[in-house]
Amino acid sequence: MRDFKKNKDKWGRIFLFFLILTVLLGGMSRKAAELAEDHENWVHYRNKSALLLGKEQKNTLDVVILGDSLSYTSFSPMQMWNEYGIPAFVGGQSGQNIQESYYMLKKAFENQKPRLVLLETNVLFRPQKGNSGLTMTLAAMGSYYFPMFTYHDIWKSILTGKEYPEENYKGFQFREVTNPYRGGPYMKETAAKEKISRTVEDYLEKIRSLCRKNQAELILVSTPSPLNYNYRKYNTLKEYAERMRIPYEDMNLKAEELGIDWEKDSLDGGDHLNLSGAWKVTRFTGKYLHENFSLPDRREEEAYALWREEGEKYGEKAKEKLEAMWKDDKITGEEVENRRERSLPAYE
Amino acid sequence: MSYHNPVYLFLFLPAVLLAYQLTPRKKRWMLLLLAGYFFFWTISGKLVLYLMGTTLFTHYIGLWLELLKKSCAESLEREKSSDNNSEKSQIKARKKAVREEYRKKERMVLALGVCVLLGVLGCLKYYNFFAKNLNLLLEQAGQGRIFEMKTLLLPIGISFYTLQAIGYMADVYWEKIPAQRHLGKLALFLGFFPQIMEGPISMYEQTGEDLWKGEDLRGENLSAGWSRILWGLFKKMIVADRLYVLVKAVFEHYQDYSGSIVVFAAIAYTLQLYMEFSGCMDIVIGSGRLFGVRLPENFCRPFASKNAAEFWRRWHITLGAWLKTYVFYPVSVSRMVKKWNRFGKKHLGKYLTRLGATALCLFPVWICNGLWHGPSWHYIFYGMYYFVILLAGAALEPVRAGVIRFFHINEKALYWKIPCILKTWVIVFTGELFFRANGLKAGMTMFFSIFQDFRLSVLWDGTLLDFSLDKGDYMVIFAGLLLAAGIGIIKERNLLKGKGFRDMSTPLRWAVYYGLILSVLIFGAYGIGYQQVDLIYAGF
Amino acid sequence: MEKLIGILNDIDDSIQWEKEQGLIDRRLLDSFGVISLVSELEDSFSIEIEAGEMVPENFNSVEAIYRMVQRLQEK
Repeated sequence: MRDFKKNKDKWGRIFLFFLILTVLLGGMSRKAAELAEDHENWVHYRNKSALLLGKEQKNTLDVVILGDSLSYTSFSPMQMWNEYGIPAFVGGQSGQNIQESYYMLKKAFENQKPRLVLLETNVLFRPQKGNSGLTMTLAAMGSYYFPMFTYHDIWKSILTGKEYPEENYKGFQFREVTNPYRGGPYMKETAAKEKISRTVEDYLEKIRSLCRKNQAELILVSTPSPLNYNYRKYNTLKEYAERMRIPYEDMNLKAEELGIDWEKDSLDGGDHLNLSGAWKVTRFTGKYLHENFSLPDRREEEAYALWREEGEKYGEKAKEKLEAMWKDDKITGEEVENRRERSLPAYE
Repeated sequence: MSYHNPVYLFLFLPAVLLAYQLTPRKKRWMLLLLAGYFFFWTISGKLVLYLMGTTLFTHYIGLWLELLKKSCAESLEREKSSDNNSEKSQIKARKKAVREEYRKKERMVLALGVCVLLGVLGCLKYYNFFAKNLNLLLEQAGQGRIFEMKTLLLPIGISFYTLQAIGYMADVYWEKIPAQRHLGKLALFLGFFPQIMEGPISMYEQTGEDLWKGEDLRGENLSAGWSRILWGLFKKMIVADRLYVLVKAVFEHYQDYSGSIVVFAAIAYTLQLYMEFSGCMDIVIGSGRLFGVRLPENFCRPFASKNAAEFWRRWHITLGAWLKTYVFYPVSVSRMVKKWNRFGKKHLGKYLTRLGATALCLFPVWICNGLWHGPSWHYIFYGMYYFVILLAGAALEPVRAGVIRFFHINEKALYWKIPCILKTWVIVFTGELFFRANGLKAGMTMFFSIFQDFRLSVLWDGTLLDFSLDKGDYMVIFAGLLLAAGIGIIKERNLLKGKGFRDMSTPLRWAVYYGLILSVLIFGAYGIGYQQVDLIYAGF
Repeated sequence: MEKLIGILNDIDDSIQWEKEQGLIDRRLLDSFGVISLVSELEDSFSIEIEAGEMVPENFNSVEAIYRMVQRLQEK
């Protein structure tokens, strides 16, 4: 009997210990999230899109875009808004893995009822062998339930005033630098396929069912990137999309239709697109979504006053920058430096 | 999977603990062994076969040695009983002959065992080094290259388990321990998962039997173990992983930095290495403690050492102890040293004889120490550096003793101790500078740059903020070091009079736990803007 | 026994050898001390001391050293 009581005591203590710990973590997470929301500038570039996505007005987004750096260097939501009245948001992060895509989407659904979810497919080919995949899962899961993991560095801003200032247009930023890609054609036809890790497949499945549950349609998109895509990946994705009956669009095969000019549209030699490349991809995507998914034009709707305002501001700036990029074939040294300084690196 | 990885801490370790408790006591060793091989496999895959092979071989050599000892004893018994008429002295002589004969055989078996294990280690770890240097020699002699470079995959922890296996064989040979008949027991000794990656290098007497006991999990062990693990994470994640960026930048682009930054980086590296290696040891020893296994300590406040010799008794203790037991002492009773002693007594006098013997015994120890860290000249230089310093220490001992006597110095007083400790720091920082440098040449360049371009102003003109470490990072590093130093001083000077963490009241202890957990989670160098840093010693 | 203490005093005459029980543990004899002691013991008692004998238990006190010497002499 005494043993039993002793045991009960022991388990009670352990339970109490973890209860207090959970309360502490929960409380600190709440505080960290509040601080982050109140001070956008305290939040690191990589977390900023997620933060802003959470702050969007309730039920205003029709399209949510997920993916790694290819997603936020390729899609400009404000351009899509200006051209077709589609309210979209890029929830992309540098080096996003599929677990993070999943939790980003989960967070989006908390506040939004998007009809379409675009997944940039480069996340699917991130190797996740055994332990590394498990680590990513734990990290993404932990950060979702306890945002203090995501924002843990915020003490630096409080104590030393560290800030991360930057413009952010619904997840997109201007990148004006040009470094041409000169490797020639890269989509050489083959029957071979690229392998997708098990963990990735599992999480893609989770994303699919999350979309189903929230009545959103999932679309896979590969943006033009000679360094990241090839025909093997196309084969894999095409087969997967057909099997799952998901729409899939590979823009690498449509570079001509898009009008991609690798002399002018690449940010860093064929890895990411610059503003000019993004403009072309977005123009194509907007048209594609508009024609195939009958999304309403929200430009006149009352709830979107802020979008109209920002759209105008964005449109002017983008026009000016694009014209500068297209006008002169050979910009001078100083201007190159200026642009480089103005534009963010794709990876931070 | 390494010890600071969330998968280890939150999944692997709890899962093994749970399975351990659910397994019947007699079979728990199997579970631990399985966990060890699984752990090994997650890092090195199929190379786990090397560990298994080493285990089988070591087991066999142990049994062979035991067999020889048994039959030696039988022969001696026969000599004693067979012939009652012989003279006592005759019997003694015959017994001596038998003993000699078996001793020779045993020595051969031991030599076989050691050579094979060292051979495997040598082939995998040092082949390219020897091949490269032999090629250079041959080229000098006008020959072409003969040895080809190979990419050899190194099983994780081979430098650690090989030493344990050799120690075991020598212990059996010396009859310190009986040979272990049970293969599983020996396998567990060589493959206990917390020790696999970077030690501590234990002797069979220390852990062999503990691992086998399969004790129930106990609250006391669990709380001691987890708090130790937390403290280790604190040291690694808050301090060491931050310093990593700075150290890497300076050591890889040393040409770009002035002498004062080199000094700063050498100190930073020493602190990084200490916080990282000792922190990892805290995690390892804590992990063992969860299962009631007491692994040997690897660090004992090394920065409180008054001289280099003491430093090495407090830094990477188990490697030092291994080298002392299995290299230093055997050399000291070898024929070569005996000859020297005899020669010295006749011709050189006591002081020089002793000094010569010391040099003869220390030299192999420090060659081994250097080479053990890796196949590279700068490691060998590192070993020789300490060889010279320790030998100088031994040579100057009479002078030191004379000074102390002449000035009536109290060796325990702070005015004497603190300068000694600071002197030791300089020695250690210099050693670690060469240890971390990318090759001997880089080390030399860095060392001499200290004397050419030394401006203290770089320490506050903002240069230090260029290493992607901002003000906040330096604050945290400083606070972490201060806390570690404070705890070190309390322990070193025994300020709590033997009382410790265990004796605190529960609320206070819990507060410490929560404080540690939260500080690791808030101030740890993880997530965006930080790199995950691999364990340094796992690379050796 | 006296011979043994003579040898020890030869190494360091400031230590009260007979009284100490922790020669190794308290670091009165360091590893250099041990190796010179061993070579003296081997010569004076005509014994052979193996590296395996060099454990703290054999060197912590005069009695322990003496016991080891006797044991090795019998061999």
